[in-house]
Amino acid sequence: MAECPVCGAEIELTADVVVGELLECPDCGSELEVLEVDPPELGEAPETEEDWGQ
Amino acid sequence: MRVGFLHSLIRKEEKLLLDALAKRSEVEVVMLDDRKMVFDLGSGPEVDVVLERCINHSRALHGLRLLENRRIRCVNSYEVANVCGDKLLTSLALEEAGVPQPEVRIAFTEASALVALDDIGYPAVLKPAVGSWGRLLSKVNDRDAAESILEHKTILGSYHHSIFYIQEYVEKHGRDIRSFVIGDECIAAIYRDSAHWITNTARGARASNCPVTPEVASISLAAARAVGGGILAVDLFETRRGLLVNEVNYTMEFRNSIDTTGVDIPGRMVAHLVESGP
Repeated sequence: MAECPVCGAEIELTADVVVGELLECPDCGSELEVLEVDPPELGEAPETEEDWGQ
Repeated sequence: MRVGFLHSLIRKEEKLLLDALAKRSEVEVVMLDDRKMVFDLGSGPEVDVVLERCINHSRALHGLRLLENRRIRCVNSYEVANVCGDKLLTSLALEEAGVPQPEVRIAFTEASALVALDDIGYPAVLKPAVGSWGRLLSKVNDRDAAESILEHKTILGSYHHSIFYIQEYVEKHGRDIRSFVIGDECIAAIYRDSAHWITNTARGARASNCPVTPEVASISLAAARAVGGGILAVDLFETRRGLLVNEVNYTMEFRNSIDTTGVDIPGRMVAHLVESGP
């Protein structure tokens, strides 16, 4: 389990989760990034930058 | 085979690609996080091939150049990323290959951009040469709007906005086509429907299956070849003049297109990467 850094909700990560993966907090809807897998740690996902995407 | 996976954030597309790579027993994945990598000019990661999946165009471009300097095959290549990441270079490549596209004008100053807009006619579309997800596109409906937008870009824009890429406005009747090319095959296509004139799915357009007709396949493959080939997504407009190529994307996003088309896009991408060798 990992804690949402925005609302504090406990979030269960899947077994195949990887560092850098984007998740949405099921409680508050914040977009989160997996910072560490073991022990699990979540951070707020970075803001969109000007040269992101296609 | 050691596959370097050049990435930053792991979006749904990257997760699907990692899942597809994990199914290949001959593949060992080496994660290359562009936020943590430090490059030097004399060494590189011990990998046979790199699959580029950066979210930042600038990091993808420079990372690919550094990796190719170490003689590592990258998909897509630096040259393809360079051409596709810049709408002006894409238009030039399409023009050189005789691939139909909307009319384009390029200007470098506010005054010459206004002349170009008057020439191409209103409405017209003003785009940053480097940009994505439909951001900072302007549909310029008349000369008053042109003067205002150009003044704003000149005064408030970064230097990227000092190259004015002006495109003929194409009436899409609410949809365009995105096709997916892998190597020498157009594997799938979707319609992108939106009431808004910008039809990116990142902006809320709805995806539905588009049959890969001979016309769709032919122009998609021609566009892909024009920019250097590889794994590419081609945006097409349906017009009275036939299909026109709007853009070609080199780190293609496909999350809305797998169930829609019934094609295992990440599986096909990985197969192409692995089977085309180091």
